[in-house]
Amino acid sequence: MGRITFPGGVHPPSTKWTADKAIEALPLPPRLVVPMAQNLGAPPKPVVKKGDAVKRGQKIGEADGFISASVHAPTSGKVAGLESVVDAATGRACEAVAIEPDGLDAWADGTNEPRDWLGLSADEIREAVAEAGIVGMGGATFPTHVKLAPPRGKTIDTILINGAECEPYLTCDHRLMLERAAEIVVGMRICMAATGASRGVVAIEDNKPDAIASMEAAVRPADAARVRVVRTKYPQGAEKQLILALLGREVPTGGLPGDVGVIVQNVGTAAAIADALVRRRPLTERVLTVSGDAARRPGNYLARLGTPIGALLAQADVAEEFEQLILGGPMMGKAQFTTDLYVTKGTTGLLAFRRAAIYDHGPCIRCGACVRHCPSYLNPSRLSVLGEAFLDGDLDAIDAAMDCGLMDCILCGACAYVCPAHRRIVHLVETLRAERRKALARERERERAAAAKLKAEAEKVAQ
Amino acid sequence: MPNNATQPAETSAERSLVVGHWPHLRARDSIPRIMWSVVAALVPALVASGYFFGIRAYLHVGLAVATAVATEAIIQRLRKVPVTVGDGSAVVTGVLVAFCLPAQARWFVPIIAAFVAIAIAKHCFGGLGCNIWNPALVGRAFVHIAYPTDLNPSSWPVLKGGHFLADLGTVTGGLPEGVHAVTGASPMAHFKAIATAHGDAATVLSGKLPGLWDMFLGRIGGSLGETSALLLLLGALYLIYKGWVRWQVPLAYLATVAAGAGAFALWKADLGADLADRFVAYHLLGGGLALGALFMATDMVTSPLTNKGLWIFGFGCGALTILIRLYGGYPEAVCYSILLMNTAVPLIDRWTQPRFFGHKK
Repeated sequence: MGRITFPGGVHPPSTKWTADKAIEALPLPPRLVVPMAQNLGAPPKPVVKKGDAVKRGQKIGEADGFISASVHAPTSGKVAGLESVVDAATGRACEAVAIEPDGLDAWADGTNEPRDWLGLSADEIREAVAEAGIVGMGGATFPTHVKLAPPRGKTIDTILINGAECEPYLTCDHRLMLERAAEIVVGMRICMAATGASRGVVAIEDNKPDAIASMEAAVRPADAARVRVVRTKYPQGAEKQLILALLGREVPTGGLPGDVGVIVQNVGTAAAIADALVRRRPLTERVLTVSGDAARRPGNYLARLGTPIGALLAQADVAEEFEQLILGGPMMGKAQFTTDLYVTKGTTGLLAFRRAAIYDHGPCIRCGACVRHCPSYLNPSRLSVLGEAFLDGDLDAIDAAMDCGLMDCILCGACAYVCPAHRRIVHLVETLRAERRKALARERERERAAAAKLKAEAEKVAQ
Repeated sequence: MPNNATQPAETSAERSLVVGHWPHLRARDSIPRIMWSVVAALVPALVASGYFFGIRAYLHVGLAVATAVATEAIIQRLRKVPVTVGDGSAVVTGVLVAFCLPAQARWFVPIIAAFVAIAIAKHCFGGLGCNIWNPALVGRAFVHIAYPTDLNPSSWPVLKGGHFLADLGTVTGGLPEGVHAVTGASPMAHFKAIATAHGDAATVLSGKLPGLWDMFLGRIGGSLGETSALLLLLGALYLIYKGWVRWQVPLAYLATVAAGAGAFALWKADLGADLADRFVAYHLLGGGLALGALFMATDMVTSPLTNKGLWIFGFGCGALTILIRLYGGYPEAVCYSILLMNTAVPLIDRWTQPRFFGHKK
């Protein structure tokens, strides 16, 4: 059972120190700052202004377009103002709503009351998920209602609940599977109902036997679902790799899991879907792991969206003198330049390290380790060499990299992890991609200008 | 950074956080770790070379390593790039280049070979990781052409254990005192005779050749490091265990040579089964094949990246070696086979690139 896996991948030390730490609700901080940019796609627009009274679950940010997700007040209180904060995912500035809690933590009207979801149609489920502002809580933050709307002509047969949690340190999904197994199963069934999928699969890495037992106990025969154990290996939790391991299906290049009849949801997302449908609770809080060697009391915390990072660092008794702060896991998490950050829907973890990991990078010695470990079967060595060539002024390197599968890289960093020269492979791949986007934009601009010029000349001739 | 009036901004401004790109975790391997492990893997054969050939063996290795390291340091200074001789890669090249030379080569031969290896084969192409050909083999090829009698002497020293301290005074001369020389060609030259039908197979195989067991242990004439197949194998097994030598290359290489020699012995030379066995065994143990297949062809920089490519590369080395040995102009084929296959590596990599995830074949 536990041998199911994908080709490639690496085995970093798991360092899941907090696996046996029960989820602890963080006390409501004196001030919450809720960033609008919490989803992949367009950030929502604030719909409250300074001085407004808000209640928990009340919409404070309206989704801006289809690929966007509303944001709700994490508690009741008063809007202290609109601010600009750092978006931890991109490092750029983004709008945020500051809230001063009134301590009552009262839910808004029409929220926090039971609902019989079984009678709802697929469209109604998707609408309820969208209304609750749910996004992928494994860190990708893709709006869930979009994911639940399969592309036209595509049949979804399987809902895959992702409890792999392959990043070292992180244990929030692990704890959820132990403490909220029933809600996760309900969330899975709701996803099945919304997409017409006939079966559900819960995937868990074999290093979490207690979570496997917990989920197996929660899945009832009538659920048309089963728990499947996958080998502990990074990036086992990457969507495409998980689908390949469990179902033997390969998501085509440029495609989505829906193209092979699968939709993958993180266990936290499944629990949030259950909360939204069964209890009419919009997404206002999440579980995250606070760890790293600077945390003297590492743990799993249930924190409201907009909780200042400082409150979590204090709760985990993080030593004053830490050098590195990572939001997310150590493999794909983002190193932060400031602690002035706030919990969002995509914050899976908070890692504080006394000493920053700094690596001198050397030339590629062609050992081939990256090629053997790449889960996308690419040649990361070549891509990194092309990246350096581009930085040295070779503009053709982008086209060469496109032929080397530049767009098929999932940025998991397995290559850089094993590289004995400590090359910045992922960084270089991202650089090439950004430059390609710029080149494409320039190309489109040129075409537009050319078309406009042609049109103007044609009109002149016509006159 | 956006201007933020809230309290934490003030305190965080004091703190300087280190920002880097993910992954923030790295495995423990590093270039120095790999290179020094290769050096360690060569130490048993290095120690044995002194036992077999006297202290001149150590002198050759010392001169070659010192030249390699000094050359690398000077060139890196001149190129105004960081001096990285501590990473051990120049030491590996120095040891390997000395291993390709016989003990009675004159003292400046290892110096020239190491200089050519580092200055021309490595740094002219951009330094570590950028060279097309294995530097040690280029160094050997250079002195092989420049000083042929030093590389293929008419006499080879034989084991005279215990005498290796006695010959310090003769380093500039020919063969050290106390070491007996046997006159005659190397085993490989004998096989050439079979191949070219100048010799009677039975006499050649039963005649002046060293015993197979002696060849396996290293009690034969030859270059410093290419004699003891056993100790080279020990070192290589360690590197294979660590994952830094890819087993596909030596396996494909040796299997191809064995198959080629066997096929030749049975069908072309008509040797009969028992003589054919010996013929194959001599081909595997002689002519520096162990050193070439285990340490030269497996050099990371100059071998393919993909697993399929490694098989093709090993097969190509083997096929060229057996062709050159049996039909070529001179008997020592390993060096040039590997250099030729090094040349083909970019092409092999391109041919054997696996299908990307999600792409159709």
